[in-house]
Amino acid sequence: MTNFDAAVSAADLTKQYGSGDAQVTALNAVNVAFGRGELTAIMGPSGSGKSTLMHCLAGLDTPTSGQVWLEGARHGDAGRVELSGLRDDALTTLRRDRMGFVFQAFNLLPTLTAWENITLPLDLAGRRPDQAFADTVIEAVGLRDRLHHRPAELSGGQQQRVACARALVSRPDVVFADEPTGALDSRSGAEVLGFLRRSVDQLAQTVVMVTHDPVAAGYADRVLFLADGVIVDELREPSADRVLDRIRSLESVARGGRTSVGAGA
Amino acid sequence: MLRAMLRDLRAHLGRVVMTLAAIVLGVAFVVATWVVSDSAAATVGGAQRTDLAALVHRESEDPTATDIPADVRDRLARLPGVTRAEGVREGYAALVRADGKLGATSWPDAGGTDWDGSQRFTLSAGRGPQRAGEVALEQGAAAEAGLTVGDSARVLLGGDRSDTATVVGVFTYRPAGHELDPAVAYDADTAARLLRPRDAAADVVPGFARIELSGPDERAVIAAAQAELGPGFEVESGSSLRAVREQASHDAADTIRKALLAFAAVALMAGVFVIANTFTMLVTQRTRQFALLRAVGARRRQVRRAVLAEAVVLGLVGSTVGVVLGVGLGLLAMRLLPVAGTVAYAVSPWAVLVGYLVGVVVTVVSAYGSARRAARVSPMAALRTDAVLPRRSLVLRTVLGMLAVAGGVAMVAATSSDRLTESTRALAMSGAVLAWVGVLLIAPVLVVGVLRPLTGVLRSPRPVTRIALRNAVRDPRRTAATASALMIGLSLVCAFATVGQTLTDTTTADVRASVPADAVVLRAATFGTFDDTVRTAAAAVPGVTGLAAPRSGAMLVIGPGGTARDTLFTSLDAAALGSALRVRVTAGDADLRRGVVLDRGFAAEAGLHVGDRVRLRFDAADAAGRVTPVEVPVTVAGLREPSELLHGQLLDDALLPDGVARQGGSVYAVGADAAALRTAMERSFAQRPDVLVQDREQVLDEVLEPFQLVLGLVYVLLGAAVVIAVFGVVNTLALSVLERTRELGVFRALGASRALVRRTVRRESVVISLYGGVLGIGVGVLLGGVMQYVILANPVFAMSVPWLAAAVALAGMALVGVLAALWPARRAARADILAAIATQ
Repeated sequence: MTNFDAAVSAADLTKQYGSGDAQVTALNAVNVAFGRGELTAIMGPSGSGKSTLMHCLAGLDTPTSGQVWLEGARHGDAGRVELSGLRDDALTTLRRDRMGFVFQAFNLLPTLTAWENITLPLDLAGRRPDQAFADTVIEAVGLRDRLHHRPAELSGGQQQRVACARALVSRPDVVFADEPTGALDSRSGAEVLGFLRRSVDQLAQTVVMVTHDPVAAGYADRVLFLADGVIVDELREPSADRVLDRIRSLESVARGGRTSVGAGA
Repeated sequence: MLRAMLRDLRAHLGRVVMTLAAIVLGVAFVVATWVVSDSAAATVGGAQRTDLAALVHRESEDPTATDIPADVRDRLARLPGVTRAEGVREGYAALVRADGKLGATSWPDAGGTDWDGSQRFTLSAGRGPQRAGEVALEQGAAAEAGLTVGDSARVLLGGDRSDTATVVGVFTYRPAGHELDPAVAYDADTAARLLRPRDAAADVVPGFARIELSGPDERAVIAAAQAELGPGFEVESGSSLRAVREQASHDAADTIRKALLAFAAVALMAGVFVIANTFTMLVTQRTRQFALLRAVGARRRQVRRAVLAEAVVLGLVGSTVGVVLGVGLGLLAMRLLPVAGTVAYAVSPWAVLVGYLVGVVVTVVSAYGSARRAARVSPMAALRTDAVLPRRSLVLRTVLGMLAVAGGVAMVAATSSDRLTESTRALAMSGAVLAWVGVLLIAPVLVVGVLRPLTGVLRSPRPVTRIALRNAVRDPRRTAATASALMIGLSLVCAFATVGQTLTDTTTADVRASVPADAVVLRAATFGTFDDTVRTAAAAVPGVTGLAAPRSGAMLVIGPGGTARDTLFTSLDAAALGSALRVRVTAGDADLRRGVVLDRGFAAEAGLHVGDRVRLRFDAADAAGRVTPVEVPVTVAGLREPSELLHGQLLDDALLPDGVARQGGSVYAVGADAAALRTAMERSFAQRPDVLVQDREQVLDEVLEPFQLVLGLVYVLLGAAVVIAVFGVVNTLALSVLERTRELGVFRALGASRALVRRTVRRESVVISLYGGVLGIGVGVLLGGVMQYVILANPVFAMSVPWLAAAVALAGMALVGVLAALWPARRAARADILAAIATQ
């Protein structure tokens, strides 16, 4: 990974819940880096730790041990920050200024209009939006005529596109997308994924996306496969079919492994 | 079913605590009211005289007559069945305070009595007086004069005498019938030597004021006494005297209870808003749960009953705590109240019963609407994640509110004239109350109408204010209910403040217009009135250029049409009107030499005008004490504004026939050199503890003092309603924050710091409180305008706006907003981001 320009990286990232017999290891000493200007998908079955990984990377959750670095604009830059040492307010500022979020459940603030939702992170920082860039983003998500509507007046797809615009408008170092198509029909989902893809290609945005949908993963530059808190495989330039094949093989390995454990017992 | 609901209730204890707080406070206030009035009744009634079979006194017009000779007592003592016959002495006596003037706690004409071993006296310190130079003091009078056992007391006595004696005891008095508490008690011999009526000549030897008889058989004692004495004496039975006191205590309790219950009702009304609003929110949050119950087969009625059962349980729990708290509060209030003498504490079963009744009924009534809505939840709602109760339309409520406001305003407008009768007053007041209720009804629409445009006007670059305002208008009904609870108490506080301010301003203008700035005013220290010596002495003070000594009495005014009206007259020296004392003339002039000057309101009522010929009829007594009516024809010389200092119709002293009873307690004097005049007056009356020497501003303070006291009490009592409403604000915020858990999580995830979240919640709280404050103050001032119009017959908009009180109230509301948000804001800031955005 030395010649690899990372936007976010993690070393020995471990997250455990509970204690004693009830202890669950969600992440087990994960080492990972996410390339700048790439769309990386994290896949894995339920309980594999993919959401936990993303939450730890985004500073929403605190890892039990290990480090997470948010890199500066260039590798080795002064903007490099290690997350585990930060207090809540510093993390909050970091999220506000250098990260963007897209959630499965849209999570727009119901009392604010689409435009106000999009500019909320900038508002919170007390910054004025860069009007030209904002126009670009809004044009890209195709929401020009919907800006003064409240979320309740928008369709699911439209709401998610507002959420995408909100994540991008502050030009964050990285956008985290947690199952962005999970609550959408396939057409709206394709629109959102296309938009994320274009943001990577045209705006050189770094995007980390958690998904269980092989079609969504097909839009990525790279797919990481997670199982039982460990990265078990990786795929570059994936297509939906190749992702699906890889999942099947991983599942059979897992089943085989479990069977052998069962047989040994 | 019921068990499921009760479990749920227990699981959300935090949510119900706030509802309970509102119930507890409302109930506590009602119960405290009851306890205070019961205790006041017991205090007024006090312990009864059980040793009294009959009381004998002269059949006389003069209540201060003390002329029963000792031989009457001796004859009564010898009667069969009479075990004790005690002559009671009474005379003018008043304690002189350290400043050389009299206090005002007791009635000086009955201020002194003789010590005996009867139930009249109960010692609270020291012993009874036994010889000359010793005196015992009544507790209240002693406290006012600042005297205790061992001190030296100066007592002003009748017949221009005074006495100095050592205080040997402090007592409480047990009066019989209509008796008043005395201030001092001497031993029998000293009392016989010192006590006499105020104006008694020096050589008069007074007898007893009354004779107390004891005996085992009340009827036998009365019959024997009546047979022995014959006409000229009155014999009252001990049981009838006890009945009189019983009645007096009941009346006192009733008056106190009625007044206090009015305030308790206001507090409860605020409570109803808070409780109903909290229930609505609790039900809204549990929509899915109700839907689930319906889906698994609960009937509507079962859901409705379950919610009502919850209300009953809350009502019972809240009432229990409220009753206990209320009894405590009531007893505490009795301890803190400045009541003279021994305070009796009483808690009747009624107090407890009423507390429970109010608590449960108010809670169930408040919860009824929520119960119906809960029952209407469709089972389908269980299957949706974003289940919401159908919003009720505000149209009906708004239309009713508008009608009430319009009707109320019309009622006030229709009655506006300067001739107010009982019925137009009542109509105007009902109109004001109707409009007030109307504002409560249209409050939700006002929320939208006032706060929503504000979000546009306030183009704040920071999102805090915008989000806070948006959240406040999100559910107008909820915000309105919260603000309305605040408005109820606050509007009444402001209404009374407006009336108070108007009264103060009117009175200040009145006193300043009536009394010249440099006048010296002599006023009676106690309830008493001046005798002629004060006027004579004041007139003799060097430097006096004008002297007005108004004295009032009763008369009949017979108009040109022959209709007679009862009224008061005040007579004074015609030459003094305009110099030592002035009137504000509205028509004609104030020259008393040309005729009578009528009160403007009286003239309007009687249909009299300047120049009309009227006859004044007085009751005049001749030298033998025979009373005959005397008529005096006179012209109406002018009309004047009413005044606190001059009551009724003004006449020249010279016009008054001889023998007409009249009394006055003030003398106004002016001179060339005001300072010198004051010094001279103070010197002249240094030896008169019953005469206070004051200037105009002191008179004003004394006239205003009772208003201020009453207003202070009113504010404190209405404050209870505001306190209850504050719990409503806390409730609304706490529950709103709970509802918005996910939203707050997103807000935090997107980069809102904890401090920012806290600030947003706090600002929302301040917005709601200020909305309630502005509404309350605005409505309150207008309500006060109508109240002062009804009371003073001023035009509605001639009220004085209490700017200071309004500013304090508004600042108070902002503070309430900040305080109410403390806990909800902390809760909101602590919201777990992951849990909030992960919930699905």
